[in-house]
Amino acid sequence: MTPCTVTTGFFTLGKCGVMAVAGCPACGRALCANHVTEGGLCPECAAARNQVGHPAAAAAYRRRAHRHRTAQEYSDAGWYVGFDSYDRAAFDPGAGADQDYLDDGADALVDS
Amino acid sequence: MFWREQKAALAGFHPLHQALVHERGFAATQPAAGWAALVDSLYRHAGLVKRRKWALPARTLDVVVPLIIELCSDLGPKGTLTVTADLRGRDVPGKTGPERQLAVRPPIKSATEAWAVDPWLRLRGELRDGSILEILVVDRERKRSIRKRNPRGKIKWKRKSKLVQTIKVRRRLPAGVVSQVPATPPPPWIGTFVREGERCSVLAAAKLTRMPQSGQEQVDRILSVATEPFRWTAQNRGIA
Repeated sequence: MTPCTVTTGFFTLGKCGVMAVAGCPACGRALCANHVTEGGLCPECAAARNQVGHPAAAAAYRRRAHRHRTAQEYSDAGWYVGFDSYDRAAFDPGAGADQDYLDDGADALVDS
Repeated sequence: MFWREQKAALAGFHPLHQALVHERGFAATQPAAGWAALVDSLYRHAGLVKRRKWALPARTLDVVVPLIIELCSDLGPKGTLTVTADLRGRDVPGKTGPERQLAVRPPIKSATEAWAVDPWLRLRGELRDGSILEILVVDRERKRSIRKRNPRGKIKWKRKSKLVQTIKVRRRLPAGVVSQVPATPPPPWIGTFVREGERCSVLAAAKLTRMPQSGQEQVDRILSVATEPFRWTAQNRGIA
């Protein structure tokens, strides 16, 4: 059985662990039926694209915002250690977070 | 008849939702599923009930509900969350202490001071890592009433009030878990106290002299203080 690897919790982070039924097309992580959001994305990738209609995506968005804010307040970069590479990858610059802000290429008239 | 449809809608809401509307507060202990039912019921309120008398108290949807949602995501399968919310406000009888006279000098004729203490939110959750998280939010208002004589002999009354908010968070770690000092200190407005023992407790407290101006800011302040006790243990990323 492949377990769902979506991050759950707010202060105490953990993995979902329910049997996976699909994979996220963006980051490839295994997803259970409850954690498949719009477009088949995982909650973290959906949150990175501001698609927070699914409760899990909204929770991921709030958790990410809280960690980002408190890591700055506490000046504690280690507070982000709790997230793994899957969680962080969706929010990396240029990782498809928001296509509007990406470079359109050398032959484009303007960068969008 | 009068408000018949809204009365019927109100009667169909969650019992704690009805307590919030009629008594402006509730106290209950439930697992995460029970709180999810209450939150669903509260989100239906605005669409079904328009009468101002039956409106939800301030701080319900913008402070209490987000905190319940976040803490429920940390509860274990058998964990419960206790919420004691008193959203009646500071001015209800019983929250203001006795008045006391202050020492004065002319032109002040007399001055009295009274404190209103409003512990409006108390949360206690049994988290899935075995720790127990307790959050207490208290508003304290100092009210001063001053009687003075102006140069023309008129007697004037002046009133002043000062409001501060105290946020206290305590996390009792699971038995046998040792605390570790975080790499960086908390912000200056958050104080920390650690009590070692069989079950180590980490207490974080903050006194806000400037009250939060919005529900989102209030939630952020509470969660910021609640973050400190979780920095005292290594983070666990096991199966939920």
